[in-house]
Amino acid sequence: MLKPILLVEDDKRDLELTLIALERSQLANDVVVMRDGAQALDYLRREGEFADRAAGNPAVILLDLKLPKVNGLEVLQAVRADPGLRSLPVVMLTSSQEETDVVKSYELGVNAYVVKPVAFERFVSAIGDLGVFWAVLNEPPPGSSKSTRRNEPA
Amino acid sequence: MPGAVQPHGRLLVLDSEAQRLVACSDNWPADALDAAQEMLRNAAVPALAPGAAPVQIGTWSAGGERWDLSAHRSDRHLLYEFEPASPTEGNEAPIYSLTRIFLPRLQRARSVEELAQLVATEMKRLTGFGRCLVYRFDEAGHGEVLAEDLDEGYDSYARHHFPAGDIPQQARALYVRNHFRLIADAHYTPVALRMADATLAPTDIDLSQAQLRSVSPVHLEYMRNMGTLSSMSVSIVIDDALWGLVSCHDHQPRFVGVATRLACEHLGQLLALRIQSEENTSQVAERLALRKLTLDIVSHLADGDGTLSLLAEVPAWLRFARAAGAAVVLDDTVWSIGEVPEEGQIQDLANWVKGLGVEVFSSHRLAEDYAPAQDFGDCAAGVLAVSISQVHRHLILWFRPEIVRTVTWAGNPRKTTLSTDGRIHPRLSFDSWQEHIRGTSQPWSKAEIGVAGELRQALIGIVLRRAEEFAEVAHELARVNKELEAFSYTVSHDLRAPMRHIAGYVDLVVDLEGKQLSERAIRYLGNVKDAASFAGHLVDALLDFSRMGRASLKRRQVDMDVLIHDMVRELSRHEPGRNIEWVHDAHYPVLYADPLLLQVAARNLLSNALKYSRGRDLTRITLRALSTPEGDGLEIQDNGVGFDMKYVSKLFGVFQRLHQTEEFEGTGIGLANVKRIVERHGGHVWASGEPGQGARFGFILPRSDPDAPDASADPQPSSLSGDLHA
Repeated sequence: MLKPILLVEDDKRDLELTLIALERSQLANDVVVMRDGAQALDYLRREGEFADRAAGNPAVILLDLKLPKVNGLEVLQAVRADPGLRSLPVVMLTSSQEETDVVKSYELGVNAYVVKPVAFERFVSAIGDLGVFWAVLNEPPPGSSKSTRRNEPA
Repeated sequence: MPGAVQPHGRLLVLDSEAQRLVACSDNWPADALDAAQEMLRNAAVPALAPGAAPVQIGTWSAGGERWDLSAHRSDRHLLYEFEPASPTEGNEAPIYSLTRIFLPRLQRARSVEELAQLVATEMKRLTGFGRCLVYRFDEAGHGEVLAEDLDEGYDSYARHHFPAGDIPQQARALYVRNHFRLIADAHYTPVALRMADATLAPTDIDLSQAQLRSVSPVHLEYMRNMGTLSSMSVSIVIDDALWGLVSCHDHQPRFVGVATRLACEHLGQLLALRIQSEENTSQVAERLALRKLTLDIVSHLADGDGTLSLLAEVPAWLRFARAAGAAVVLDDTVWSIGEVPEEGQIQDLANWVKGLGVEVFSSHRLAEDYAPAQDFGDCAAGVLAVSISQVHRHLILWFRPEIVRTVTWAGNPRKTTLSTDGRIHPRLSFDSWQEHIRGTSQPWSKAEIGVAGELRQALIGIVLRRAEEFAEVAHELARVNKELEAFSYTVSHDLRAPMRHIAGYVDLVVDLEGKQLSERAIRYLGNVKDAASFAGHLVDALLDFSRMGRASLKRRQVDMDVLIHDMVRELSRHEPGRNIEWVHDAHYPVLYADPLLLQVAARNLLSNALKYSRGRDLTRITLRALSTPEGDGLEIQDNGVGFDMKYVSKLFGVFQRLHQTEEFEGTGIGLANVKRIVERHGGHVWASGEPGQGARFGFILPRSDPDAPDASADPQPSSLSGDLHA
């Protein structure tokens, strides 16, 4: 069974458009939606309201930069600091190509960075490409992360 | 002639410890010498301070002669001088008449000249000399006759000048210590000293304070040349300096008794006191008046914005120094009023004054210190300058015009008389000799110079306060600027989302419901989408612009030859259907800039040139390399639609457009970016054009500063960055 895609997005319109884009990209993965950074971290760590969810990490996190409570960069930082989550692919979605945001994201170890285009077709193709690359094609890098993966239930 | 005395008196020199005879003048009869020594052994001599002027200790009668006796002490000896006591001069107590009649008159006098005249007349009356002069020495030591009183047959020297060389420096020093000097007969034969102590020579006896001291033969010759057989002088000493002399001459030998001498000395002291108080009073009055003007100036400036240029508006400014012209120099800017040299000359002078490193500089003979002043001597022979800042060239200068002074010398002061035997003789002629002295202005008074220093302090206070205020404003501006940037970032970030939503949902509607919609509805939705995406572009452009102002500059040497040719190739590829002629310069400069930002600027200018010449059959774009003292740059000229110069100031503004969007697409931010980039590099941009005649845009960037740490054109990383990479 394919691991789900975790989408963290607070804006309901962006959420709808992103879901449509993911749908149109014809990915078979489930999409789990979280509306703020704190909720996303709870989900990932299986804490709070997600304490009872079945174990297992998503295939990829699509993370909006501007989020209520805990923002995207903070979520990214927490993911990279957590031994159980460290090797998760994270793709940052944002409204602008602000230099400091980009630099900061890469410093924190983001795997990809997507500026949401104004034109919808381009958004669809960008999201589609991302999903295919990270959710289907991408194999985890060999080496240090393998031991972690081995401990994970499939 | 050293070690000799004048013959009208006699001298005894005793050992100051043992009271033993050391020397005597060679005109003592043997018995008189013994009697004198005997008398001195019994005399009560007051305590004498070494080096002080002689003290009168009484009258001594011996062998039918009466002598006035005075004593003084040198470092090693006691000197007793015996001078014949004059028979009554019909003037029993000159000092009383002086106090009773003369003093009240002296008190009423209101100027130095008036005082001098009173003293000349009184001195002549007291001594009976044929001519009595009062003169004052200037800074250079030349004497100027202020007042005289004379008998018939004597030449007038009123307002004449005596050159400094007439009184040697040693003589001046003596005049300060010993206020009275008499040469009773210029034809005298000096009397040598007879030494009783064989271990000493006559030159070992210090006669500098002795009334009887024989003067130099040159001086006697000088007197004879003047037709003067006797002379007497009283020093006018103020603040331990020789201010002037009262000098009396007579065609005949003339002796002055002790009582008269005391009165004369007293008169000299009275005059000195009065002059001193007169000068102090006038200085205080002058200073007070100047202080008031300073206050006016300072309060005017303090009310304004504190810039020194405001001085030019204060009328008191000129009056302050009784100047004919004045200038304020603030770095490269000069404000002036009244009669002043040309601006360049003022700048050079200001530079020179600043180089002196003094706070206040004054000269009333500027050309003597600063040769270029000869060229503007007529309007500025004298200058008073205050330097406000030690770092910047901030000066205030006052100018006074040349005053051609006519000085009447008593004889040509430059004429040296050298006789065939090689001896220098004092000059023979005392005929009036006139000299025109050029290149001088009215001198600056002590009060003016002093108050100029005070004005400087006050101005510095104002300038410093303004600097503090400016620093505060700058700080506040930086804060507001930061806030604005954060704001523009947030706004553009948040504005982009709704644009995306509009475009996205319009696309979805057309996708899902396109078949049900009318053609018109589809067209309207297309417009909605275009508008949303244009708004998105605007927001992106705004964000870019904001980023342009914040991105750190990573400067290095950028070869424009490569950059321009690459860019021209690329831009031409995007315009396949057009007929474009690029006119290149032979070489383009290497610019010191951030390569990415420079590329953005160059691309904006080149694509503008292409865009606005689109309608031409043949587009001609001319590129020129520029090199100026401020730096290097580039100019781009097209043959496009051009613009009206009255809008040139709008051209570089954010979202400023001179054309409708249907004519030429664009967000109106490109040139604002160019300007921001160039100005962040310390350069400047310009534009010129004419409607229908094409436009011309250019910029200049400063060259690399070799002292700046990031100026290196060296492609090798520095050792520091090498370490960081390791």
